[in-house]
Amino acid sequence: MMQKKICMLGGFAVGKTSLVRRFVTNVFSDHYQTTIGVTVEKKCVTVDNRELTLILWDLYGEDEFQHVRESYLRGSSGYILVMDGTRRATLDTALVLQQTVVKAVGAVPFVSIINKSDLRSDWEIDEAAIEQLRERGWTVLIGSAKLGQGVEELFGRLATQMMSPSPPPGMCP
Amino acid sequence: MSTDPHRPRHDSRTSEGLTSVDKDWAELRTLLLAPEQTQLDELRDRLDNRAVQPRDISHVLPEAFAMRGERDQQLSSVLTPYVENGFVAAVRKSPRAIVDAIAPIMGPAIRQAIARALQSMTESFNHSLDESLSLRGLQWRLEAWRTGRPFAEVVLLHRLQYRVDQVFLIHRETGLLLHHVAAEKVVVQDQQVLSGMLTAIQQYVRESFGAAQDQTLNQFQVGDWTVWIEQGSQAYLACVIRGTPPANLREEVHDVLDRIHAEYAEALGEFDGDPAPFQGLHSHLEDCVQAQYESPQPPSALKLWILGGAVLLAALWWAWTSYQAHARWSHLLTQLKAEPGLVVTNERSRWGDYRLEGLRDPLAKDPLELIREAGIDPSTVTTLWAPFYALDPPLIVTRAHSVLQPPRTVQLHLDGGTLVATGSAPIEWAKETRRMATLLPGITQYRDEDLLTVSISDLLTRINRTVIHFTPGSASIDPSEQLELNAVAVMVRDLAQAVSQSGQRVRLEILGSTDETGSIALNVQLSKQRAEAVLAVLRSEHLGLVPTITIRNADQRIVTLHASIEPLDQEPAIVRP
Repeated sequence: MMQKKICMLGGFAVGKTSLVRRFVTNVFSDHYQTTIGVTVEKKCVTVDNRELTLILWDLYGEDEFQHVRESYLRGSSGYILVMDGTRRATLDTALVLQQTVVKAVGAVPFVSIINKSDLRSDWEIDEAAIEQLRERGWTVLIGSAKLGQGVEELFGRLATQMMSPSPPPGMCP
Repeated sequence: MSTDPHRPRHDSRTSEGLTSVDKDWAELRTLLLAPEQTQLDELRDRLDNRAVQPRDISHVLPEAFAMRGERDQQLSSVLTPYVENGFVAAVRKSPRAIVDAIAPIMGPAIRQAIARALQSMTESFNHSLDESLSLRGLQWRLEAWRTGRPFAEVVLLHRLQYRVDQVFLIHRETGLLLHHVAAEKVVVQDQQVLSGMLTAIQQYVRESFGAAQDQTLNQFQVGDWTVWIEQGSQAYLACVIRGTPPANLREEVHDVLDRIHAEYAEALGEFDGDPAPFQGLHSHLEDCVQAQYESPQPPSALKLWILGGAVLLAALWWAWTSYQAHARWSHLLTQLKAEPGLVVTNERSRWGDYRLEGLRDPLAKDPLELIREAGIDPSTVTTLWAPFYALDPPLIVTRAHSVLQPPRTVQLHLDGGTLVATGSAPIEWAKETRRMATLLPGITQYRDEDLLTVSISDLLTRINRTVIHFTPGSASIDPSEQLELNAVAVMVRDLAQAVSQSGQRVRLEILGSTDETGSIALNVQLSKQRAEAVLAVLRSEHLGLVPTITIRNADQRIVTLHASIEPLDQEPAIVRP
């Protein structure tokens, strides 16, 4: 069965692990994430009648104390950028992280998601900002790990893009 | 042909429309150009029939397959369903042919698999057997009981020097699993996730210590396990090893990784997440799955001697106790056979459990007494006795005594089948015995010609006629009177026995008297002493009679007796002045 490595990236406490938890069955403790900065999990999906195993590298949140280890990004076939709608700064972090990934692994498919749609009234990221991201060629989804909204679509779209022979729409120009 | 400039012109024509020149020309042309004409006709025929002929394809088909197969996998993809269907149809149509075809391959494979399984089972059994009696073995058995694992598995784990439990071939760049093998019965977690974590840990360690790209984490230990990581240019091998592996194993792992890189260089370089091309290296990774167990220590000579001695002592003790038990049982059987009235018909002795069956006369000795006397616990013996009348002479005599109830003065003995009675007995008993004796089993005749018979009335008369004389002033019995008194004592005894059979007893009154000389008090005392002296001789207390001493004023120095018979249930009127 085909395997693909994908990375979960985003600022601190944006909900990456919660999204993964919604998607997979846990094998290793979250403890690894705080000790070595990553925990690896797995999920099998089907894309166009082809089975695909996603190996999810859930990276520790980027903040002023800890930066994403670029070595963890190597070999990724795709990645997911997670932002917290209630914190504008996480969008800026996502922009920086996206550049970091491009530098490390080149232009590979990615999908971004603005999490915590269940707290929409508290959002600091407005529609204009989202539109700007889309204008940059990003695939931007809105979802909630808490409610399970957009989770399947998030991973499904990335899997589809990775398996697509044509240049994916979410690819960085 | 008419346009041919080189053809000579002739005007003369034949009846068929051809001139003789034409015919010559045609003949000449045929002679000169026949082979080329034939080829020309074939070419024209091919041009007219452009459809591909099977015969043509058959010439080039093998080469075509080979060329296309070298170029890509499309030919395989196209043919696979047809080959599969064809194979299924062939199996259904003639399975025997398929069986015959694959038998040469499957037979050795099955034999090898069975041989391996048997070898593994034998090794496991040998290890278990070797350790089953030692102190260490007992500790391991306790551990097996505590952990719920089979004893053989616990033995193997403790004897394990090292065992490669799992081997991962992991793509270095992506951390994706290319292939994985595990030893038998090893619990395997999710290999793909584990591969990712192994890769992440290596990268974390390398970066944390600021190591260069070519400096890698080669080994780490967790509890009983050691994880070896052998790095290659495209992929690395991770071996999960239990115990302490030898150094040369590392070289073998390195060689395997080199071979993989050499044989799969292209597949590794083009790896896009599909591990299918690496299925073929299963045997390479299996080469790394090795195990070595501690060879069992040869038992020391002292241990062997102790063990042998203990076994010998146990055997001797067992033999001795068995011999003793057998001897006791044999002795008991001998005793039982010799005992009158007991016949053993069936006996069984099995590991301290005994059984006796046979016949037993009610008058025979209790077999339990014989069993106890033989030193055997009666609770271990099951007995089943059927009653019968034994014709052993002692038992016939015993039975005759039991049934006939002879007086003590009668002796019974057996002479062949004849019961002989001697001694003295009341005539009534003698008559009854003559009637009953021959009815008893084993007695065919009865004889009593030597039996002295007396009647009760005669005895009473003779006793009551007795007079014992005393010298003046004396209570001592004269020797001359002693003889008569002894004869009287015999008669009293006979009388007492005779009446006892009819539920009666003898009342004997002893009358003592003196002459009239002397004081009355002295005479009363002397009369009493004389009666007591006679009573002492008669020893009447031993005869079961009731004696009475009476003082009588008869002016004679004598003692007389008065015997009478009374029923047993009458209250004795004992008068002792």
